[in-house]
Amino acid sequence: MAYSLDDRRKKPTPKIGDLIKKGVVTEAMALDWLRTIHEIRFFEDKVYDLLGQNIIKGASHLYAGQEAVATGAVAAIEMGDVIGSTHRGHGHCGAMGNKYATDAEARQMHWNRMMAELMGKETGYCSGRGGSMHIADVKIGNLGSTGIVGGNIPAAVGAALAEKHKKTGKIAVSFFGDGSTNTGSFHESMNMASVLKVPLVAVIENNLYGMSVPFCASPVEGAGCASNIEHIAERATAYGVPAMIVDGQDVVAVFLAVKEAAAHARKNNEMVMVEAKTYRWYGHSRSDPRVYRTKEEEKEWRSRDPIIVLSDKLLEEGLATREQLAVIAQQAQDAIEKATQFGLDSAWPDVADLARDVYVTETYADNVVEAEKTAAANAMKATAAFEAAVDTITAKTKKEKVELAKAQVKEAFGMDVIAIKDAIIAAQAEEMRKDPSVIIEGEDVGLYGGAYSATKGLLEEFGADRVIDTAISEAAIVGAAVGAAIRGLRPIAELMYVDFITISMDQLMHNGAFNRYMFGGHAKVPMVIRTEGGVGRCIAAHHSKSLEPWLVNVPGLYVVMPSTPYDAKGLLKAAIRSDNPVVYIEHKATYGQMGAVPTEEYIIPLGVADVKRTGKDVTIVTYSRQVMFALAAAKELADKHGIDVEVVDLRTIKPLDIKTVADSVRKTGRLVTIAESFNMCGMGPEIVRRLIEYVYEDGRTGFDYLDAPPVNMAAADVPPPMSEPLENASIPMTDTIVARIRQMV
Amino acid sequence: MAREIKLPQMGQTMEEGTIVTCLVKVGDKVKKGDVIFEIETDKATLEMESPGEGFVKKMLVAVGDTVPVNTPILIIGDENEAIADGGSPAAAAAAPAVAKAASTPAPSTEAAKPAAAAGSVAAPAGARVVRLPQLGQTMEEGTIVTSLIKVGDTVAKGQVIFEVETDKATLEMESPGAGVVKAILVEAGETLPVNAPIAVFADEGTDIGQDFIDALRGGAVAAAPAAATPTAEQAPKASTPVPTAAAAVKDGRIFASPRAKTTAADMGIDLRQVHPAAGAVRITAADVQRAAASGAAREPAGPAPRYNLGDIVPVNRLQKIVAERMLKSKQEIPCFYLNIRTDMTEVFKLRTKLNKGDGVKLSFNDFIIRAVAIALKHYPIMTGQLDGNVIQLADQIDIGLAISTDDGLVAPLIKDAGSKTVRQIAEYGKALIERARTNKLTLDDLEGGCITVSNLGGFGIDAFIPIVVPGQCSILGVGRIADMCMPIDGNIMVRKIMNLNLSVDHKVANGADAAQFLDYIKKLLENPSTFEE
Repeated sequence: MAYSLDDRRKKPTPKIGDLIKKGVVTEAMALDWLRTIHEIRFFEDKVYDLLGQNIIKGASHLYAGQEAVATGAVAAIEMGDVIGSTHRGHGHCGAMGNKYATDAEARQMHWNRMMAELMGKETGYCSGRGGSMHIADVKIGNLGSTGIVGGNIPAAVGAALAEKHKKTGKIAVSFFGDGSTNTGSFHESMNMASVLKVPLVAVIENNLYGMSVPFCASPVEGAGCASNIEHIAERATAYGVPAMIVDGQDVVAVFLAVKEAAAHARKNNEMVMVEAKTYRWYGHSRSDPRVYRTKEEEKEWRSRDPIIVLSDKLLEEGLATREQLAVIAQQAQDAIEKATQFGLDSAWPDVADLARDVYVTETYADNVVEAEKTAAANAMKATAAFEAAVDTITAKTKKEKVELAKAQVKEAFGMDVIAIKDAIIAAQAEEMRKDPSVIIEGEDVGLYGGAYSATKGLLEEFGADRVIDTAISEAAIVGAAVGAAIRGLRPIAELMYVDFITISMDQLMHNGAFNRYMFGGHAKVPMVIRTEGGVGRCIAAHHSKSLEPWLVNVPGLYVVMPSTPYDAKGLLKAAIRSDNPVVYIEHKATYGQMGAVPTEEYIIPLGVADVKRTGKDVTIVTYSRQVMFALAAAKELADKHGIDVEVVDLRTIKPLDIKTVADSVRKTGRLVTIAESFNMCGMGPEIVRRLIEYVYEDGRTGFDYLDAPPVNMAAADVPPPMSEPLENASIPMTDTIVARIRQMV
Repeated sequence: MAREIKLPQMGQTMEEGTIVTCLVKVGDKVKKGDVIFEIETDKATLEMESPGEGFVKKMLVAVGDTVPVNTPILIIGDENEAIADGGSPAAAAAAPAVAKAASTPAPSTEAAKPAAAAGSVAAPAGARVVRLPQLGQTMEEGTIVTSLIKVGDTVAKGQVIFEVETDKATLEMESPGAGVVKAILVEAGETLPVNAPIAVFADEGTDIGQDFIDALRGGAVAAAPAAATPTAEQAPKASTPVPTAAAAVKDGRIFASPRAKTTAADMGIDLRQVHPAAGAVRITAADVQRAAASGAAREPAGPAPRYNLGDIVPVNRLQKIVAERMLKSKQEIPCFYLNIRTDMTEVFKLRTKLNKGDGVKLSFNDFIIRAVAIALKHYPIMTGQLDGNVIQLADQIDIGLAISTDDGLVAPLIKDAGSKTVRQIAEYGKALIERARTNKLTLDDLEGGCITVSNLGGFGIDAFIPIVVPGQCSILGVGRIADMCMPIDGNIMVRKIMNLNLSVDHKVANGADAAQFLDYIKKLLENPSTFEE
């Protein structure tokens, strides 16, 4: 089915009585809709009051006026379906909680927890970590509200992808406002959902204003304009999917439209857009004077209050008396009053728990860490033997030399010698064979095999359902990975260059890294973002940066940067198995670098550094390709200058294994850090800070053991240049490392 | 029922609002949602809607007024409801926060005033803040020993509500007023300055907001004026910079790496004896090791390892007071010291005789105190204290008695010793010692006095020089009574001899006064029949 637009406002909404006769709804359902609408309304009015009294602090995007949309849409979906909400999300959370409440007590507790969350109390849905803008209840499929306009649309696409992949028959509903439909996230997500054919219903709540700017036009002089079209649903034509326009003030109309859309999405794996025309009673927030709309317009919309619209239907059709309606309103009000008291009576979160639930706690047994140290040392020895063999073996071609050297290593050490790209492919393939929830998505990961061939052969083995080529939509690629991860998959999303992560930074940080914490520890986001960085191929400033300092600045993320095939394989397998979001950054100049890896299965614990060379005079701390430069420099310093250098490879830069660094500096007294990223607020300065503060078991600090000022070698503070001599001059290289250390000692 | 309508917070950053327009007047009926004011905030001019329904009874603000968020601005009520002149019942005390700062001296519970200062919280109507009173002239702070009330208690004026430890004693604090305890702001063990808020009382049924209580805890509520902020005279003068130890090192600073210092400390090497490598800007660990190998730089004995110290003895409150007061004495009281030997043979005989009967046993100290009291009457200058340009004499002879208790040293007073007989002094002294050892001394036992008698004879001390108690003119140090051979009328007699040492504040008394005073004491003790019983 392609694009079609059904403006359902043009036809009369069926009578509730007729729908009851057809078995589409029950009388109890209709009365419960009214109760839910009332509850949301009383909740919002109470929140407004409490904001004024400064009892609730913070954001205040109230849903009053739009209740029929959340109530109707949530009533229309099945149990087990998933929703994504907006920054104006109290209605969605309210309706979802009611849907899952099994009895009156559970329903009351639901409102209690909502109110407590807005007050920032420990008893809230997110233990006060999220509040109004991040309220969520992940266990019933409410993927939460967001503070970023359009920010949750990609995650909903990912959730729909997960349901399709798991074949649950469930769909995702993405709620978003008119304001978000001019963001990149919206377009990327709608396009991705339509192309990947995932069961998604996109519910656009068009309340006519994105904060103060009218979506299309306004009679108010001076008012701006966000779009040239009146109906957002028309944008469905760009995605080739069916769309509807519905009266958002009429809960019955919304219910019927979303029910039809959900059935279509469920049956056909095709996205449907539903635009609900609605209106918010309050301003965007408390400080909004609402000068951009007229009193007449407000009055007109208020005459179509969803409470009035539904109450009138019930009265006219004889389904309820005024007295019954008054009882419903009173019940709703009582529930909100109780919820308010519950919130007031609840305890604040304990500040000692400030850092709780930033990460899923992951630890490795001591014997695993120790055994890995031995394995790493063996891999280093075998790799050295391989390199020596290549240098000494005589053969006609280099390829022949390499094959002979590989055979020698296999003979002597029982290890295979492979390139880093093959290590990455092998890690993914092994984990995908083991765990069907692992999928790969991103640009060119399928038939092409990845821009750096790091997914070659995986499409052939695992098929297009698990190795998913996408459009060039970095925000949607990462955002969908987040949604899929929350819904139980272990996605690996590939971004061709780490430079492009800038486009997806919102999704990576605000959803990927923060969701667990903001949602009170109730979500986990086990995804891996694979990408590559660094200079070395003369492709200049948009394809050569090292952005790991940006990423380590994000609480909730792990950042891994391997330097050898052995590390690349073991760390990637650990990253895929980790329940935390991991950014795994390869180096573009090292995909062909050869090294020994064990033939048996292994993983490398995240957060554990590796001493790649021992020495007593100077400690180099580095990671990624610079480890190779550092080892070469260490060899030259030992051979020619009698300086004995220890090289510590961090491998995981967040969490950072400062103990291994500190133990090394305690021995040598001198620290040199080497990174390919910029120096300002970069990895080197951070390592120095952590070292200086490190407290040893004797009570002394890293500071006490320094015998010389620490040195941070890093990229020059210039956009990476294209020209090769300039490019080489912009980063630490073996000769500059040697020179700097000779100065120091 | 009348209710106040308060200025709501209309936006996250709004702290106050200006009344631009008032759209209602007294007598108007308003419904929930009616626009009643236009308020200018830090961001925009907004319409303020009525949060409830009723008749406008009273306007508490005028157009143009700027008031903080949460200030009552309007009272609404039922149509025929009468509103007291001051506003609604609840509003009576909660005048708009533009109220003038209180300027009258505050009683220790004041009806808390809304503070005008930024960041402070207006006191809710009816809240009465109980502050830590000054329980004695020298008291600057007090430690809460016990709280005898809890939130919700109804307290009568005069009821004991806290036990407070001052610099002198543990005292019972009485409630300065009646009310229901709404909050207790202190915990046992907490030490606070005089006038610090310690509790909030209010009438039954009055609601005191948590904000206000938190603000009191955080000090954001303006303290009562009596909690005088330092005036210009009182403000500490800028102290002259104290030379640091580093500046005293003649050789100047030694530049050495942290590791070199660590190594030097571990090896016991004096860094002053270590020379950096040629051209180097600092000593490194290698330089230290070289110096150690040469054997030249080892410190003479090596400093004792700092972690080899003995146990730590905590200092109790009493000892802290002793430390403070003795330091003050040494800093402020220029003393001279007199010594005299006294023949106690006659007192010895008299005491033996008197103690044969019933009643309190008399100690030598009781005779000494009696003698001191009589001597003070003869030499009133010895009761004096320098006060500006004059010397103030005491109107009653109170004599301090140094007592060693389990907790430490105290010196409570034998009141009006001048008009007491030896036996009365003994009886009083016995009770006083009992009170001291059971920690029952009152402030009255401790404040004032002309002189203190300190007797270490029981410990075998021959003579010692005591330190004058601040506020008193002198102190008498009494040594042991020992048999000594004395030439009397050409014969060598064995007599009971005792040393008396008098430390005297030279600001008050000169040597001649004090010498005669001490000699008079001696003479009284050598002729005890003059003051028998």
